[in-house]
Amino acid sequence: MEELFQTARDIHGLYPHVHIWGWPIATYLFLGGLAAGILLFATLYYLKGKENDMPFTVKIAPIFTFIIIVIGLLLLVYDLHHKLYVWQLFTTFRIESPMSWGAWTLVAVSILSLLWPLSYVDDIEKYLYERGWKKLDFITKFIRNLEHNWLIPRFIILTFRKYRTFFAWILLFLSIILGIYTGILLSAFNAHPLWNNPILGPLFLTSGVSTGSAFVMWLSNNKKERKLMSTIDMALIAMELFFIIHMIMGMQAGPEAFKQAAHLFLGGEFTVIFWVIFVGFGLVLPFILEAFELKGFHVPPALPALLVLIGGFIFRVIMVYAGQMSEYPF
Amino acid sequence: MNTQKNKYINSYVAGFFLGLLIIAAYYFAGEGLGSSGGYRDVAFGVINKISPEYAHQNAFVAPHVSSDEGPTHTWLVYELIGVIFGAILSAVIFGRMKWSIGKAPHITNKKRLYLALIGGVLWGVGTQLGRGCTSGLVLSGMAVNSLSGYIGLIAIFGFGFIFAYVFKKLWIKTKN
Repeated sequence: MEELFQTARDIHGLYPHVHIWGWPIATYLFLGGLAAGILLFATLYYLKGKENDMPFTVKIAPIFTFIIIVIGLLLLVYDLHHKLYVWQLFTTFRIESPMSWGAWTLVAVSILSLLWPLSYVDDIEKYLYERGWKKLDFITKFIRNLEHNWLIPRFIILTFRKYRTFFAWILLFLSIILGIYTGILLSAFNAHPLWNNPILGPLFLTSGVSTGSAFVMWLSNNKKERKLMSTIDMALIAMELFFIIHMIMGMQAGPEAFKQAAHLFLGGEFTVIFWVIFVGFGLVLPFILEAFELKGFHVPPALPALLVLIGGFIFRVIMVYAGQMSEYPF
Repeated sequence: MNTQKNKYINSYVAGFFLGLLIIAAYYFAGEGLGSSGGYRDVAFGVINKISPEYAHQNAFVAPHVSSDEGPTHTWLVYELIGVIFGAILSAVIFGRMKWSIGKAPHITNKKRLYLALIGGVLWGVGTQLGRGCTSGLVLSGMAVNSLSGYIGLIAIFGFGFIFAYVFKKLWIKTKN
């Protein structure tokens, strides 16, 4: 009987093909987490009334999230086998399906993240001039034109501005869902032991928020804001390390399939890239650099920020590829 | 100018520490220090990834890609990763962290980068012919009293003087 099962498992097409997800999905998960992180900070600091203390975080950074989400969604469509059927995801909502949650959350988030910066056009223009990106002011001119000359866009922008606090609460909630969803999407795959663990949701959320803070730290032109984001990022990196250690400890204490999954990072194929490149260069080094910066040493903010962003991307690539390799033993 | 100078450690003291490092490298890794070898192993890894058949046929690459762990699983690659890590920390601590292209003021960035690329290619070919660079061949070689290390030292610095004379215009502005 056992022999029959062993051979049957090899029959092509009996199991869904395991290596179906590649770099587009990993990139999409990274971009989703990044957008969630940026929006989380924007809405949180808006609701705390720090709109003017944290101008880049609240007013300018969200304009990037719309672009980030659109790139992510394009990658998602690119990954589909039947690209033209993508609209069918939006004809249904299944509460038990993370993909359904993700698809709908992304639509809501992308609309809100587009509307959010539209009503901060003066601040965006000021930022562009301060950075010397004057060539990009066609964007702000276009928004002004929409607001003043077109009736429906004007109505939408003014309504959004009026009820901004209400939308901020919704967006805050949705950004947390989006951040968690990028992890839950993987952990819903019961057939892969590496993915099938509950820490993945919070771990991906923390990592996404950390990349969000790194993004703000990198592009902000306000010193105080940078410093605060740097401090927050250090705390997030510490949390990430905590989650990672617990994820691996939990797997080591689990049944054989989970031990084998953990072995991918403890001597297996992904050991070096996980510990040296992701943990070493994507978490520990930026943490040390940020600590030095807080102590008053001169560190270009782009350096720790880029390390965190690249580390976050590599983490998702590792998780997507390693997860598909981890299977339950025969 | 003086403060700029003081940011660096005394070169004789640094040399002494480097010597201690070689002893540690031989003790822990069983091999000397090196840098070109690490780049070479990464290059082999890339070749092996792109075209495994070619890598296994090529007489120069094949011996390095035959192991199960792959060509990049060597001490030199990890050593280089550590060097990058340490260099960033050292630059931050001593306030040298900034983007810049080290060059003479009178030549353009573009020219400097082209010339650096040419120099780098020549250096890469040379290190493979000589089986090591200043660190792998000379430093580690001389540490074990190997004749090739001394020959390497004379050749690298001897020709270095000659080439420096020929190309000094790139660094020092002369009257014409």
